Amino acid sequence: MIALAQIAPRLGLLQENLERHHALIDEARSKGAGLVVFPELGLTGYLLQDLAAEVAMRLDDPRLAGLAAATKDLSAVVSFVEESADHRLFIAAALLEDGRIRHVHRKLFLPTYGLFDERRFFAAGDLLRATPSRLGIGVGIAVCEDFWHLTVPQLLALDGAQILINVSSSPGRDLAATNEVGLGTATSWRTLMRTYAQLTTSLVVFCNRVGVDESISFWGGSEVIAPSGHALFSAPFFEEGLFTVDVPLADLRRERLALPLLRDERPELEVRELTRIVAERAGLAPDTTADELAQAGLDVAPGEPLRDPIGFREDPKTPAKIRR
Amino acid sequence: MTEATVASASPDPPFELPEELAIDTDVARRVIEQFIRGQLRQAGFERLVLGLSGGIDSALVAYLAAEAIGADRLLCVLMPYRTSSDASRADAEDVVRRLGAASEIVDITPMADAFFATNADASPVRRGNVMARIRMTVLYDRSVTWGGLVVGTGNKTESLIGYTTLFGDSACAFNPIGDLYKSQVRQVAAAMGVPDAILRKAPSADLWPGQTDESEADFSYPVLDRLLYWRVDRRRTDEEMTALGFDPALVARIDRLIATSEFKRQVPPIAKLGPRTAGVDYLYPRRRPGSARR
Repeated sequence: MIALAQIAPRLGLLQENLERHHALIDEARSKGAGLVVFPELGLTGYLLQDLAAEVAMRLDDPRLAGLAAATKDLSAVVSFVEESADHRLFIAAALLEDGRIRHVHRKLFLPTYGLFDERRFFAAGDLLRATPSRLGIGVGIAVCEDFWHLTVPQLLALDGAQILINVSSSPGRDLAATNEVGLGTATSWRTLMRTYAQLTTSLVVFCNRVGVDESISFWGGSEVIAPSGHALFSAPFFEEGLFTVDVPLADLRRERLALPLLRDERPELEVRELTRIVAERAGLAPDTTADELAQAGLDVAPGEPLRDPIGFREDPKTPAKIRR
Repeated sequence: MTEATVASASPDPPFELPEELAIDTDVARRVIEQFIRGQLRQAGFERLVLGLSGGIDSALVAYLAAEAIGADRLLCVLMPYRTSSDASRADAEDVVRRLGAASEIVDITPMADAFFATNADASPVRRGNVMARIRMTVLYDRSVTWGGLVVGTGNKTESLIGYTTLFGDSACAFNPIGDLYKSQVRQVAAAMGVPDAILRKAPSADLWPGQTDESEADFSYPVLDRLLYWRVDRRRTDEEMTALGFDPALVARIDRLIATSEFKRQVPPIAKLGPRTAGVDYLYPRRRPGSARR
């Protein structure tokens, strides 16, 4: 059984949020859950700005150890600001199990566009690893924006994850009567979850927060999606709650046997082509797929040929061509 | 009715709702009411005060606030000037009565006329600005006596074109409807049961008898809202706006209004001198640990 803690963290109030986590872990255990998932930055709130450094914890922080100690016979995914030994701040999500920190995922993709400004305040993680767990299946953890990049769910699945957990602080926006659920953000996320579950034949767990930080309202709508792409559970929008979902793990095996997509993946093909693309984008290899007049590292030529390049020449042949 | 739908199938719809502006009003209400409660909680307040004009914007905010926190925690302040229309006041009193909110009438005539007595040459714009800032002064005073935050009632349309008075009607602790176009304000108001008389009447700043927004600025709200939506929210270019059927001259005029009113939508810049400067590289949430008054 999985418990989704769809909470409204208090911005910057670490101690208060910590107490709430302890209470909900106890409640999840008493309901018989084997895994309880909290949202992105559930321990600190999302829109921290310069508060980030003030609520940051190192992995040896006693408050984190206290939370880990509460996970006897239980797995929990919690999220907080991690300060590394070299004083970088990460948006971290940790898998706590049987009293210890089993795994830490540091958010890889920090949205810095539109209403987001994460790269200003945080460092991006560099590692993506699935982890074994006491649940008996591999776990892949990602944070919010990580799931807006196709490679993340695929790499986690190829690395052995059978359950993909995304913890989020997704701001609700783009209200329109034409959307499936009246909220553009929710429609997009629901599409992603179902697609990833099906393409990786994995369980997908999405835990999104609710509540308000400044201007933005978080929409909740946490979900558990079966490997077939069907929703096993969808939490209400905007409402706090601890929601428990029974998950038939046998479906994983059935789905992967019936639809062996993961077996048929071609990671060596991806590596080969990605190696080529990386070299071409760095201008270190001739770009076999680019427009004839494209500059090194760019795939697309300008509609109008550039006049004399200003200030530098990248390749003695190119300027002549560009001049026509 | 090719480019716009109407609010309902009734033979006499109270307003015109352009199709692309239609929103899910249930979701909007939930977001806004959660926002109102969140703002109060973070500030350590339990009450709200608002200026109720009899127009649709402040009526809608009163309905939203009453639904979010209960009418007993809302103070509606009616602030007529001697030239304000009796119909406006009657409509505002109707809202107060229907909601069961606390209310107070503060006649701003003595305050405004004391100023005008020594500034008799003030143009209508100046007079309107003075009245808007007197109303702001009254609201922030009642914020203390009532013990509530001042809730804003400006909509997205008027904010984008700058049809507001800086430190006047735009002054507030927070604004729950500032991201709704006028057409969307009407849609949500209709869904919440705001009285028909308020839904149907022509929007007006009520600064002089017979004034209406649309005649003063020479536009219609459905057209202006659609124009702003495609231009601002959907980032359409000049050519694309023309292809959508908008008059290039109107687009240029509205572009100018948006650009010239940018200063009204932002906090004033501070000359950068020290190591950390508010709004530049000293960036904190407005509400942070220790910021609530209790």
